Amino acid sequence: MPQLQSITEVELPSGDALPVVRRRFAGAGGPRVAIVAGIRGDAPEGVRVAHQVASLLAEHEAALTGTVDVYPCANPLAAHQGARNWPFFDTDLNRLFPGRADGHPPQQVARALVDDVSGADQVVELRGARSAFSEAPQAQVRAADDRAAALAAHANVAVVWRREAGPAAEGTFAWQFPGTVVLEGGTGNRLTAGVGQDLRDGVINLLCTLGVFPEARLPFHWAALQRPIVVTDAEVSRVRAQRGGLFLPAAGIWTQVAAGQPIGEIVDPLSGELREQVCSPIDGRVLAIRELPVVFPGTMVARMVRG
Amino acid sequence: MSVVFSVEAPYRAAYELHRLTFGSGSPTVAIVAGLHGNELNGMHAVNMLANALRVQAPRGTVHLFPLVNTFGADEARKRFPFDDRDINRMFPGDPEGTVVQRIADALFRHTEADVCVDVHSGAPHVRELPQVRVPMSGVELELARAMGLPVVWRRAGARLDDEGLVGAWRAAGRAALHVVGGRGITLDTGHSATLADGLARLLGHLGLVHHPGGGEVVAEVTPAEIEQHRAPCGGFFVPEVRVGARVKPGHLLGWLQLPIGGERVGEIRARRAGVVMTVRAWPMVHAQELLVRVAELRGR
Repeated sequence: MPQLQSITEVELPSGDALPVVRRRFAGAGGPRVAIVAGIRGDAPEGVRVAHQVASLLAEHEAALTGTVDVYPCANPLAAHQGARNWPFFDTDLNRLFPGRADGHPPQQVARALVDDVSGADQVVELRGARSAFSEAPQAQVRAADDRAAALAAHANVAVVWRREAGPAAEGTFAWQFPGTVVLEGGTGNRLTAGVGQDLRDGVINLLCTLGVFPEARLPFHWAALQRPIVVTDAEVSRVRAQRGGLFLPAAGIWTQVAAGQPIGEIVDPLSGELREQVCSPIDGRVLAIRELPVVFPGTMVARMVRG
Repeated sequence: MSVVFSVEAPYRAAYELHRLTFGSGSPTVAIVAGLHGNELNGMHAVNMLANALRVQAPRGTVHLFPLVNTFGADEARKRFPFDDRDINRMFPGDPEGTVVQRIADALFRHTEADVCVDVHSGAPHVRELPQVRVPMSGVELELARAMGLPVVWRRAGARLDDEGLVGAWRAAGRAALHVVGGRGITLDTGHSATLADGLARLLGHLGLVHHPGGGEVVAEVTPAEIEQHRAPCGGFFVPEVRVGARVKPGHLLGWLQLPIGGERVGEIRARRAGVVMTVRAWPMVHAQELLVRVAELRGR
């Protein structure tokens, strides 16, 4: 039976205890893989995938040829209320890594998670989509990491994005472990039919590629997996609203559009009159589209990927 | 009053960045408050200063921005409500970026001055004795002393985060002061008046207005000269002191009790003499959270 262990326990002011847990599936020898979900509380898709993967690992634990540690929810207090940030401190856990053992509770949890994951041969982080968006299933790896990009190609996603580090990268969980594959997709703070299944299959296939999960036990045929396109920042375009109002999308996720083709419109929220036709700047596919309609000038409404 | 930047806003009137300008010529001072919409003391202090400048025109230029985050203030929120972003993490901003990046860009461009001041309240869960946070030495330290606020807190690396307004000002070569007083969410009229007096003394020091006098720095401290008391365990903190209180070694600063039942589980006592500069105001605390800061007295 997999062991459910608390890696740290936060004492809340009321006296309640808040554990952060890990499920360990220990096979014979082989590498250790850490699968971490729920660093933000508004990403239930990642938590779902973690549990689905754990369920399959429990079923086949005797056949595993490595160890898999599943951390289904690193930020339980935020998940409790579906919020991105750790409540009360109102802080983004994914900006606090590597954390501090003598800091406030979010910093302590960040430190405990880093300490517990440390030494893993491979780290997979499961996220959901940004809260206002729907996104195609995608893997993100560091731009210069050829090995991680090659591994991520087995993750059953539409896109592998070799991403340059942004200004906040150093405080993120993924930054602490070079080679981390980040998987995300679906709709912000929601579960999306099909996406959880795709990402579950992707994680299991990664474990198979890493030599931890036996190919004979895969619950799908390898030919059914998606073959992603691999892109860099230069091939990903951010589309911003020029006007404020309500953005009404006209293109679905992963639809092909030509440069200049409309992907949505912005209307006056009170009169309904058209303020702006939003068009794709490139020939490509819709990687992400805003589904929370209220926008200011400058708000990102879509992310396009060339190809 | 002039609007130096605006951007259209869905469902409501456009966001506008308001500036009040008094006098003309050099030197130039820019004073900003209300970057965080739930911090009212800076807003009140800057408006008190505006009333004084209406009576006494400065010999030089004073730009006042009493409330930057108007939308946040409407909802008692620290951040900009639309995208829940902290404007004070967006500097120097981007004129083509998101709405908060555009506000940050506009504010940064319109505060090009010889001396810049950003006035804040403490967080909603702590109350701060009015203080200036500055580098260990240099012109900013001299300006901070001239304000005559109770505490001057000298900190290495006080450039802060480059994405913060004070850090961005310093990176651009402007003398910048980070002023804090009172508590978020609430209006502390006494602390607001102290902050306004300190701002007036700064203008007096720079020769813009007749020096109002008064004021006293009771503690000029480095981090090593601040005694920090953190919660040894979670619970309900009951303070026994207020900010500004003088304490001696052994003075009872407060205690922790169980939130249900009220049994006392720990006492917090001063280890050395000083002035209380920070007190926890929201009593439900986690282990390791800050409860009280005591600053060593000047010339002890």
